[in-house]
Amino acid sequence: MAFNYDQYLRLEKMPTLWCWGCGDGVILKAVIRAIEACGWKQDDVCVVSGIGCSGRFSSYVDFNTVHTTHGRTIAFATGIQLMHPDKHIICVAGDGDAMAIGGNHTIHGCRRNINIKFIMINNFIYGLTNSQTSPTTPQGMWTVTQKSGNIDPTFDACNVAIASGASFVARETMLDPKKLEKVLIKGFQHRGFAFFDILSNCHINLGRKNKMASAMENLEWIDSITIPLKKYEALSPEEQLNKMPTGVLKHDDTAREYSDMYYQEVIGYHQGKRKVITQDDFTKKI
Amino acid sequence: MSIMKAPENTPVWVDESRCKACDICVSVCPAGVLAMRLEATSTLGAMIEIIAPESCIGCNDCELNCPDFAIFVSDKSEFKFSKLSDQAKERQVAIKENKYMKLSA
Repeated sequence: MAFNYDQYLRLEKMPTLWCWGCGDGVILKAVIRAIEACGWKQDDVCVVSGIGCSGRFSSYVDFNTVHTTHGRTIAFATGIQLMHPDKHIICVAGDGDAMAIGGNHTIHGCRRNINIKFIMINNFIYGLTNSQTSPTTPQGMWTVTQKSGNIDPTFDACNVAIASGASFVARETMLDPKKLEKVLIKGFQHRGFAFFDILSNCHINLGRKNKMASAMENLEWIDSITIPLKKYEALSPEEQLNKMPTGVLKHDDTAREYSDMYYQEVIGYHQGKRKVITQDDFTKKI
Repeated sequence: MSIMKAPENTPVWVDESRCKACDICVSVCPAGVLAMRLEATSTLGAMIEIIAPESCIGCNDCELNCPDFAIFVSDKSEFKFSKLSDQAKERQVAIKENKYMKLSA
């Protein structure tokens, strides 16, 4: 079944500027298929991207798109979502974008549980600027800023999102696009902050000096460090050390969405529909 | 859902203007349908070629895994795909060992 992506693409920008075998393209395709499966109209979707290879994402898709400053995807998306609470906002950021310079915004987006679908493409390195250490680079890997091998402890993005209060958190790899599509659909249909940590390859800037110079070698390495959540839970703590669980890690349907709360409670108060919000409302969960 | 119409009697086809010769489709194919040929005008000096269309089983893995919107597989209603044969599996192993390049006859 040859899915026709052309309707969703800016064809004059094709072929993409990404390197051969880059996972970003696979993720882009999965996102388009997930949007089509959700039945969203192109005019109702807004894709916000930051800086980095993942920043090119918004250039290639024919939705409403915003290409913003480094790490500020959620800041822009929050504004768009509050203005248009019925539209679907998809943020795309890289690991440096989401966890380093934009870490602060990511945490507060999660905390507010605002209806943003946040896709973090995690390739373990700053790929666009040639191999500097990123917050997710595994310890012991060669990077251009730590040529002796990286000593920085690694950020677990999903645990950060769960701890910050995101109501949907999932990790997937681009090795299995069908599974990735299913998880994306699940997250897209969830109302609240959906955080996806999607592991991708960068065989050019990560793999070149770390003994995985081709896309396949890099993908095999990603396969070796990931394990489905059910199997992960069955492992002993020592075996869990260098593995990452994949699948839906958190799904909370009861958490209230920020723009709903804003329109009902805050706007409601100003229109005289309700009394002033007090702490008691929150113990009762308004 | 928008679906592309397949050219007549073709299980799998490629848009060569988009292909960057990354070898991913060749590596995921279970039936040795795809391989790379040398191509002087391509950036990486190679280009995808469909060497054994009759062996295609229609699993769609190459289309799903292609990062560049370049390869397409027809629908089961448009083409009668064959079953996975031992000969096809052996060819796939040989292509992988040949660094994804086309086997010389």
